[in-house]
Amino acid sequence: MVPLVAFQLLSAALFAIGIYGVMARRSAVLIVMSIELMLNAVNINLIAAASHLEGTGRWANFDGHIIAIFIITVAAAEVGLGMAIILRMYRNRSTVNVDEINLMKW
Amino acid sequence: MVWAWLIPVISFAVVPLIILFGKRLPGKGSPLAILAILAGFAIFWVVFAGFLSATPETEGCATGVGTKALTCNFQITWFEAGIPGADTSGFDRIEIAWGITIDPLTVSMLGLATFVALMVQIYSLGYMHGDPRIDWYYAFHALFIASMLTLVLADNFLLLYVAWELVGLCSYLLIGFWHERPEPREAAKKAFIVTRIGDVGLLVGILLLWSHVGSFSMSETFAAVAGGELSDGVVTFSALLLFLGAMGKSAQFPFHVWLPDAMEGPTPVSALIHAATMVAAGVYLVARAFPIFSASDTAMLVVATIGLITALGAATIALVATDLKRILAYSTISHLGLMMLSLGAAGYTAAIFHLLAHGFAKALLFLGAGSVMHSTEELDVRRMGGLRKVMPVTAILFSIGALSLGGIPILAGFWSKDEILIAVNDHLNPVFIVLTLLTAFLSALYMARAMFVVFYGKFAEHFEHVHDAPPTMSITMGLLAVFAVFFGLAALNWPGAFDGIGYFIIYEKGHGLEFVVWLAAVSTVLAVGAFIYGYLAYARKSVNLEGARRTFALPLKIAEGRYYVDELYQWTIDRVVLSLSRFVAWFDRALVNDVGINGPGDITRGLGEKLKYHVTGYVYSYVLVMALGLIGLAIFWWLVSR
Repeated sequence: MVPLVAFQLLSAALFAIGIYGVMARRSAVLIVMSIELMLNAVNINLIAAASHLEGTGRWANFDGHIIAIFIITVAAAEVGLGMAIILRMYRNRSTVNVDEINLMKW
Repeated sequence: MVWAWLIPVISFAVVPLIILFGKRLPGKGSPLAILAILAGFAIFWVVFAGFLSATPETEGCATGVGTKALTCNFQITWFEAGIPGADTSGFDRIEIAWGITIDPLTVSMLGLATFVALMVQIYSLGYMHGDPRIDWYYAFHALFIASMLTLVLADNFLLLYVAWELVGLCSYLLIGFWHERPEPREAAKKAFIVTRIGDVGLLVGILLLWSHVGSFSMSETFAAVAGGELSDGVVTFSALLLFLGAMGKSAQFPFHVWLPDAMEGPTPVSALIHAATMVAAGVYLVARAFPIFSASDTAMLVVATIGLITALGAATIALVATDLKRILAYSTISHLGLMMLSLGAAGYTAAIFHLLAHGFAKALLFLGAGSVMHSTEELDVRRMGGLRKVMPVTAILFSIGALSLGGIPILAGFWSKDEILIAVNDHLNPVFIVLTLLTAFLSALYMARAMFVVFYGKFAEHFEHVHDAPPTMSITMGLLAVFAVFFGLAALNWPGAFDGIGYFIIYEKGHGLEFVVWLAAVSTVLAVGAFIYGYLAYARKSVNLEGARRTFALPLKIAEGRYYVDELYQWTIDRVVLSLSRFVAWFDRALVNDVGINGPGDITRGLGEKLKYHVTGYVYSYVLVMALGLIGLAIFWWLVSR
C-alpha cells in the first residue's frame, strides 16, 4: 500500500504549483487554471486521508469523499462563472491581463 | 358676554385673508381690516352692556379673587397633560384652558384698544395712501390688535404669554415696516431684543408661579396668593419677575431705550403702540397681576421707584428733545412711569384711568404729529413754527391733546393725573409726591413746548404751500379729541347713571371721586403755569431762554445725551458682551471644532492616507499575503497543538 505521506507530498507539490501559478501568471485564464490545480491538490489530500483512516477498513468513513465531491461541484460552477467574467472582461477592456484591470485601485 | 372671544378672533381671521388675497381686493384689503376692528368695536359694546347688567349670580360670573370686582370667566379645555384621570389640583395632571376673563379692567382695555385701533386704521387710509405694501401694513395691524385683545382677555398666564409674544412680534414687524431704510430695521431689532430680555423674566415668573400653584389659571393663582399658600419670598420674587416683563414692554427704565427708536415706524403705528397696544400691555400686566403685587410690599416699592425714575428721567429728556415724535415718545415713557408709580402706590383705579385718558390723548397727539409729518415731511421742531396758519384743524386738535395730557383742568388728563397724585400722596414717602409734582410740571411744560413751537409763534415761511390733513385723518383725530376732552368726566359721580370710575375699576373696594383740594390746586397751578410759561417762552419769545441755558448747561447736556443710557449699553455690548463672545467663539473654533470634531476625522483620514498603498491592484501581492498568512496560521497551529 502506498504510504499516506506520498499522497500528501504530491498534494503539497500540486498546491505549491497552483500558488505559484496564481502569483506569477498575468493571464486571468491561467490564474483560474492554477486555482483549479490547488482545488485538486486539496481533493487528493482529502481522498488519501479518508482511505488511510485506521480502524474498520477502507470504506469506513465517507467524510473525505463527500467533501471532495462538493469541491468538484463548486469548482465546476466556479470555472463556468470565472470564464464568463473573463469573457466580459475581454469584451470591455480587450485584455485579460490582470495587472491592467485596476479600476478599483486608489 | 361670552361672545367677547369673537373680538380678537375676527381680526385674527382677516390676517391670512389680507395676506393671501390682499393684492386682488379693493383697497388692497384695508377695508377688511377696518371692518374687522369695527365689528370688534361693536361687539365690545354688547359685551360692555352685558357686563354692566351682570351680577355675581350670572352664569360664569363671580366676585373676583383679590380684586373683589365682578369677574366673569368662560373657558374651554385646550389640552390635558399628565396621568389620565388623576387629580388636577396637584402636579399629576394639568389642564390647559383657552379662556377669557371679563372684568372692569378687561372691559376698559377692550374699549380703549378697539376704539384707538379703529381710529388709527381709518387714519392710516389717508396717511399710508399709495404705499406699495399697504396690504401687509393692514395685515400686521389686524394681527397686532388681535394679539393685544387676546392679551387683555386671557384668563390664564400661558395664553397671556402667547399673546404677549405676538404683540412683541407685531411691533417688530410694524416698527421695521419701511425696512428699505436701515434705521427702521435697527429700531425694529432693538425693540424686539430689549423687550425679549424682559419677556424672559415674565416667562420665568409664570413658571415659578405655576410650580408653586400647579395651574396657569389667573384666578387660581390669585386665590393661592390671597390664601397665603405661597411663601412671601416666592410672591415677591414672582412679582418682580412679572414686573421685569412689564418693564420691557412698557419701556420702563432701564429698558426704555427701544421706545424712542421705535419712532422710525409709520406714525399711526406709533400712535397704536403708545396708546392702545404694546406699551399698555406692561401696565395691564401689573394691574392684572395686582393681587400678587399687592401681597408684597417690596415688589410694590420697586414698581413705584422704577416708575418714578422713569417718569422723571423721561420727562426731562422730552423737554430737550428736538424731534417732534421723540418728544411724544419720551412723554409716553414718562406717563407710563406715572402709571407704574400709581400702581406701586396702590392706586389701581388711578393707573387704569390714566392709561385710558393718556391713551386717547396720546393717540390724538401722535396722529397730529403724523399729520404734520405727512404734510411737511419735517420732524425737527426747530425748523417749524406757526403751522396753525396752514393746518388749522391739526393745530387745534393737537393743542387739545397737549392740554389734556398736560393736565389742564376739566380735560381728561387732569382728572387721571389728580387720582395718581392722591394715591402717591396717601401711600408713599413725601419725597415721592414732591418728585411726582415735579414730573407733572415738566410734563405740562414739554407738552406746551411741543404745541407752541410747532403750531404757534413765528410762521416758518418755507411751509407756505403745506396743506391740512385729509378728512380720513382729521375726522379720526376729532373723535379722539372728544374723548381726550370729555373722558375725564367719567371720574365724576352722575346720579342715577354712573357712579364714577372709582366704583367701576375697583380693587377690593370702590371709592367715589376723591378730590384733595390742595393737591388739585397745586397741580392746576403747575400745569397752567407751565403752559403760560411755555407760551411766553416758545410762542411769544418774550422770555429769553439763553440765560437759563447757560445756567443749566451741564444738566441740559446730560438730558440731551439722554443720560447716556444708550452709550452705556453700547459700551457694555462692545467691551463686555462681544469680548466674551469672541472668547466663546475662539473656544468653539479651536477646541470644540478643531480638536473635538475635526481631530478624529483627521486621524482617520491620515491613517487611510498611509494605509492605502497596500492596495496594489496586483493579484500576486494579494496571493502572497494570503499564502504567507496561511503559513503563519499553520505554524501557529502547529506550535499550539504541540
